[in-house]
Amino acid sequence: METIVLLTALLGAPAGLSAVSAEAASPVPVCASAGPEYYAFELFTTRNVPGTGLAEARAELEVSGGSPFSITLGPDGSYVYDVSVSLDRMKAPRTGHLVAWATTPDIDQVERLGTLDEQLRTSGQVRWNKFLVVVTWESEDDPEATMWKGPVAFRGMSRSGMMHTMVGHGALQQENCAAYGYGN
Amino acid sequence: MTDRRRQARVPGFLVPLWALCVLTPSAASAQHEMHGMTMEGGWRMVPMDMSMPMLPGLENAVPVVGPFLPGMGMDPSMLPEARPSEMVPMADGDTLDVSVSMVRRTIDGHEMVMFGYNQQYPGPLLQAPRDATIVVRVRNEIQMPTTIHWHGVRLENRFDGVPGVTQEAIEQGESFTYEVHVPDAGMYWYHPHVREDVQQDLGLFGNLLVTSPDPDYYGPAHREEVFVLDDMLMDEQGALPWGDSAPTHALMGRFGNVMMVNGETDYRLTAQKGEVVRFYLTNVANSRTFNVTFGGAKVKVVASDVSRFEREQWVGSVVIAPAERYVVDVRFDEPGEVVIANTIQAINHFRGEFYPHVDTLSMVSVSDEPAESSVSEAFDTLREHADVVGDVESFRSFFGQAPDYELETTVRVRDLHQSIVLSMEADTLYVPPMEWNDAMPMMNWLSTGEQVTWILKDRETGAENGEIDWSFDVGDVVKIRIFNTPDSFHPMNHPIHVHGQRFLVLSMDGVESENLVWKDTAIVPVGSEMDLLIDMSNPGEWMIHCHIAEHLHAGMMFSFTVGAERP
Repeated sequence: METIVLLTALLGAPAGLSAVSAEAASPVPVCASAGPEYYAFELFTTRNVPGTGLAEARAELEVSGGSPFSITLGPDGSYVYDVSVSLDRMKAPRTGHLVAWATTPDIDQVERLGTLDEQLRTSGQVRWNKFLVVVTWESEDDPEATMWKGPVAFRGMSRSGMMHTMVGHGALQQENCAAYGYGN
Repeated sequence: MTDRRRQARVPGFLVPLWALCVLTPSAASAQHEMHGMTMEGGWRMVPMDMSMPMLPGLENAVPVVGPFLPGMGMDPSMLPEARPSEMVPMADGDTLDVSVSMVRRTIDGHEMVMFGYNQQYPGPLLQAPRDATIVVRVRNEIQMPTTIHWHGVRLENRFDGVPGVTQEAIEQGESFTYEVHVPDAGMYWYHPHVREDVQQDLGLFGNLLVTSPDPDYYGPAHREEVFVLDDMLMDEQGALPWGDSAPTHALMGRFGNVMMVNGETDYRLTAQKGEVVRFYLTNVANSRTFNVTFGGAKVKVVASDVSRFEREQWVGSVVIAPAERYVVDVRFDEPGEVVIANTIQAINHFRGEFYPHVDTLSMVSVSDEPAESSVSEAFDTLREHADVVGDVESFRSFFGQAPDYELETTVRVRDLHQSIVLSMEADTLYVPPMEWNDAMPMMNWLSTGEQVTWILKDRETGAENGEIDWSFDVGDVVKIRIFNTPDSFHPMNHPIHVHGQRFLVLSMDGVESENLVWKDTAIVPVGSEMDLLIDMSNPGEWMIHCHIAEHLHAGMMFSFTVGAERP
């Protein structure tokens, strides 16, 4: 984390000032929500599906229960999250189905979370630490589908996507930005 | 610590912006030129990924406390070489003399001065039958005061080993006699309750195995292995110095970079095909939570801190936080080499990504020769422990009650280097539920117990740490809700330990636990809310604290009283 160099830190650091108190600056506005919802994130409309332009969409994450160890991990050490997807300020489509999916940032792996019900809610499980949630408009409700076919209506990234890369750009760039992907 | 000293230890400049704009990878590497060199005050720079540039202004910074190494200037060859742990079977009333002394250890090729109980690593493995009382006479021969805390044991309060609460610390040359009554079968451990970040890290820990009179207490296994999991922070010269007047690494705790099982870096086992091995796992690391995997072997979790689970359960790995214990049965079905590993998704903050990381803890060579088959076959059955189910059932009427108390965790810092403060504030846009690796070694090292205060806060009264004043009576069943606040300067998971009592983890984030076990330590991930039900069964003044050694020293503790049974 010490590798993260902030422009604001540099500009705002008068010479000779080396130690400050976080108490003096408190309360520190670190995050907007608290509790299990801390890992919730917003899904943004693509406006590609009729009736979704003013909708509010959200994915809420909880570290999955049921583990004897207070926290549930997959075999590779990734968190196992229970993901709940909800859409509000819109109506269920008269035709077709809205389906929620999770996918890796490189979209090389896709998991179907579920078909949204009449209340425009669904839930599923994700075994990645950084991922996208996508809601698509499908003509068929196929529980066996492994990839969406219809247009993307909403998409959003897990809170872990807020970890900022310094390696691909900026003052500390070490690699060609174009060659650097989203990461894991 | 004077202000002058503090100012002297933190360089008073930051790298100008123009310098960063022309920084090249080679220049970034040059920032690490202090690695391997003795810095101001005798410090050595903390080991870290040399390919990453360093936060401006921290290149020559050292902690505001002085460095400590045991036996500084002493020739280690003058000390006795520590030897592996020996089992000490003890019957009711038996007495054991335990010396706390300096020893010579060789870890990862480095000969070092460390501490030992009876010159052993780990300390002697004590074994006593349930309901026995064993006597342990402790003599302190190290320069630091010490005590022994009998972790998880519901023993008489005056023998709990907390300085200033249940006893005075044992000074060098002095002795203290502990009478340890063991009412619950299971695996426990003992360690100092004075500067755990130093003494425990230097080797002062050992197990206490309490056996049940029921020969069928655990299911069939071909044999048993004790695995004490630990890590140590080392560079090319040996162990990195600890803080003298207060711990370093106060933000995240001191993560080691050398993994050990039973004090050894290359602990190996052999097994026969189909052999069922019962592992008693104890995590004695200062801060690291392990995710223990057993290759492709089949694993079932049987017991934890203070009891067996209601039901045995198949698991893919064992998540074990500092001070926790788990008993797992593992069957090695396939001949070949099985790696017992710490398998995690670490964080690289420079790249802003998770990456898979595996530390080998131990290797098991599985032979072609088949093990005795009846035990192998019995392994396939998951047993239900009716006595545990019945015991838990007698508390079920309390499960739905509103919390009696609510705690939240947070942290307060002062006088940290400005680069650290600004970076931390910006980087907490996302904080993982658990810290599996030290992703910020330099910043973590520079944060000391003099600058960081970790806090347990009573939500109703606002009282913090030692201000909290809770009183109960024996027989009370108390629900406590602990919320790990994500919106603090540096949120982090906390293994919360309750002394002298036992508790159930009823739920995490409102999701009820389906398979209960009596615990004395449990992890609260960041942003999570854990409901505990504590069986106040043991009178006295007892501690609640975070078992990350540096967090404990940085204030994250308080004591509560349990009065004699109500008439």
